[in-house]
Amino acid sequence: MSSIPWVCSQCLARSTRLVRKPWLLFPRRALQTITDSDLSPALLTRARSLAKEHATLSERLAISFDPKNAKRVGELGPVAKALTEWNNAKKSISELKSLLDDPVAETELRSLAVEELETTQATLTSISNDLKRALVPRHPFADLPCLLEIRPGAGGDEAGLFAFELLRMYITFCTRRGLRSAVIKRELGDGTTDRLSEAILEIEADGAYGLLRTESGVHRVQRVPATESKGRTHTSAVSVMVLPSFPDTGGTDGALNFDDPSSDYYINPQEVRTEKMRASGAGGQHVNKTESAIRLTHVPSGIVVSMQDSRSQQANRKKAWQILRAKLAEARQEAREQELVELRRGVLGGVARMGRGDKIRTYNYGQSRCTDHRSGLTVHNLDDILEGGESLETVMDSVRSWLSDREILAIASEIPEKRQ
Amino acid sequence: MPRIPTRTILKAYQHDPLLPLLLRECRSLESAKNELRWLRERALHMVRPASGGERAVTKYPVFGWRGLLRSMCLTRSRGMPLQYILGDQPFGDLDIKCARGVLIPRHETETITIHAANFILDRMLEDQNGNKGEKASLHILDLCTGTGCISLLLHALLSPVFPCLSIVGVDIDDAAIRVARENTERNVRLGLLSKRALSEVSFRRGDVLQCVRSRAAPEDMANIIGPSLHALWSSRCDVIISNPPYVSPAEYHDGTTSRSVRIFEPRRALVPTVNSVLAPVNDNDVQVGDLFYDRIAVLMSRLDAKLAVLECGSRLQAVRVATLCRDVLGRYDRTGKAIVDVWPVTDVDPAAHAVFIQRTRSQ
Repeated sequence: MSSIPWVCSQCLARSTRLVRKPWLLFPRRALQTITDSDLSPALLTRARSLAKEHATLSERLAISFDPKNAKRVGELGPVAKALTEWNNAKKSISELKSLLDDPVAETELRSLAVEELETTQATLTSISNDLKRALVPRHPFADLPCLLEIRPGAGGDEAGLFAFELLRMYITFCTRRGLRSAVIKRELGDGTTDRLSEAILEIEADGAYGLLRTESGVHRVQRVPATESKGRTHTSAVSVMVLPSFPDTGGTDGALNFDDPSSDYYINPQEVRTEKMRASGAGGQHVNKTESAIRLTHVPSGIVVSMQDSRSQQANRKKAWQILRAKLAEARQEAREQELVELRRGVLGGVARMGRGDKIRTYNYGQSRCTDHRSGLTVHNLDDILEGGESLETVMDSVRSWLSDREILAIASEIPEKRQ
Repeated sequence: MPRIPTRTILKAYQHDPLLPLLLRECRSLESAKNELRWLRERALHMVRPASGGERAVTKYPVFGWRGLLRSMCLTRSRGMPLQYILGDQPFGDLDIKCARGVLIPRHETETITIHAANFILDRMLEDQNGNKGEKASLHILDLCTGTGCISLLLHALLSPVFPCLSIVGVDIDDAAIRVARENTERNVRLGLLSKRALSEVSFRRGDVLQCVRSRAAPEDMANIIGPSLHALWSSRCDVIISNPPYVSPAEYHDGTTSRSVRIFEPRRALVPTVNSVLAPVNDNDVQVGDLFYDRIAVLMSRLDAKLAVLECGSRLQAVRVATLCRDVLGRYDRTGKAIVDVWPVTDVDPAAHAVFIQRTRSQ
């Protein structure tokens, strides 16, 4: 049975290209291979300086309490801890090595040392990974609850249908993870019950933003829509935006307190125009209007939020403000990130940031597959993903680790630049 | 009223066959859609109670939620206010019960009440810097209270700051007093009001026009707030707040007042009822609309209230009321100075305004 089916010579030539250039086969894997035990010297010096700062600050804290210092110490704690562990592991490895090199050592001891060395090497890898993770500064909104906005993009009715399914996917995901969620805005397309034109889901658990922020972006769907009569596959897109949701009363934390004019996320009420969308004419006792819609416009940025779900104007206003704050904070954070990217561009030589305009994930019904374009992970269990099951979590985990790798790279490249 | 284009009616029908019914009263597609959503939510809730409670009592014959929704929409298309159909109206954070015969709380009143509460808090905080003893308690008189919405919302907003609060709502109508008391219990039960409201907010029947003659006597206070509270308040009242009937007979009939309001809401809550014995017989229509403000200003000077907040129907009326109050206060006591402010609720001109009268006593 040595018959090889006939292959066009051009196709053959093309297939050898893959062999010649192996990076074409696994283009994204390259990023995840930097999880070896070696730390770049730049990262190491940074870790050492941070650990030093931690030591001096905790000494000062022992003498007198200062909430600002305490907070910084809490932030640096993981770095310092990981660094000591790393140092210990390094030390024991060098001790073991010197033992192996020692010619007078007994053979029994030697075999023990070899075993010990192997296990220490293994732990060193995980410790250095921890250290890298600890070095990445936490996202400022990571501990906040979040708002998840879903809007259909290109693709007409089909996009609306898929947006509805995405909303259900996130709701079941939250239920499964035990996160409290509430739909605070849901607008359906004209005369339909399953076509979304906009929805906002509030996830009230702390840290939900950190969990879900990788979901921001364009989700692409490829399938034969229910509305299609000729059985053609359509491609449409739904955009998902994850926004931080600020506590109502303003936190004690200075940076996130939106009532504090010195905060980065402060919104001057003077810059927000409130419109009660109602016809002009006599008001008060003369008429009895049921319209309770509120529209807020942030004049400098032109962001408009309108809310009409509740019968109470007060409730509508509260929700509209919550969404406006979230949108502005996200926009400002994004602008800051953009600045950083500009700084790093020379070093990284590419985009180091995932924009929300980029296509991030494809759901292909025909092949029952879901591919995340950032981590490169493909899962062949679409039903489970759309039910918000384990597979979705796997995909999200892969994106998170991809993101932290990127951030480590960015930090590593940032440090030599600072020195120059 | 402009005719609704056939195109809009058609579009409404395509969206939902019940929508053209609501369009008759709502006049715009957006608000009709919202009302349909609220009605549907309520119909579903009434037929299938979410928390396993007993079926809500309804005057509509129930044949499943669709039938209920249909009969609700039909009622609404005849002009019945949505609040009477649903039986409630959100007011601030509160949930106010509405019933036929009692005026429905308006959004403008809500905005004015919240503004007044903030005003009181600001002013009292200023006072607190001066003398500390006086801040502890606050006595508020709510004239023409209706559903009791203003009294209850003020209590909800002020009770966290004032350890001792006393609010009296006065209305001429027995049905209104009943609804107001029911509202207190309802909101305490729902957890929207603190339990203090049960003892600190009270409602009394009283006729503001009759109690206050132009030559007011000190016993007016007892007439209005009742003898027991009169003793407690020791003739002191800090704030008078009121949303009195302010529609003049002409405005009531010439189309300024909408048909639905004329047919379904009580006339007595809208137009000051002229009693020939008390009111000076005067054909001037405008003065009939402003009848209550005159009495309230007199009452304010008699009770020595520090602040009065009065809702008015338009900017013109607010300006008239402001001059009237200045006159009355100047006539009755010459010792103090009154600061009168007109506060527009919205930017739109013909909408409701509020008049804030602040009195500072000269030392």
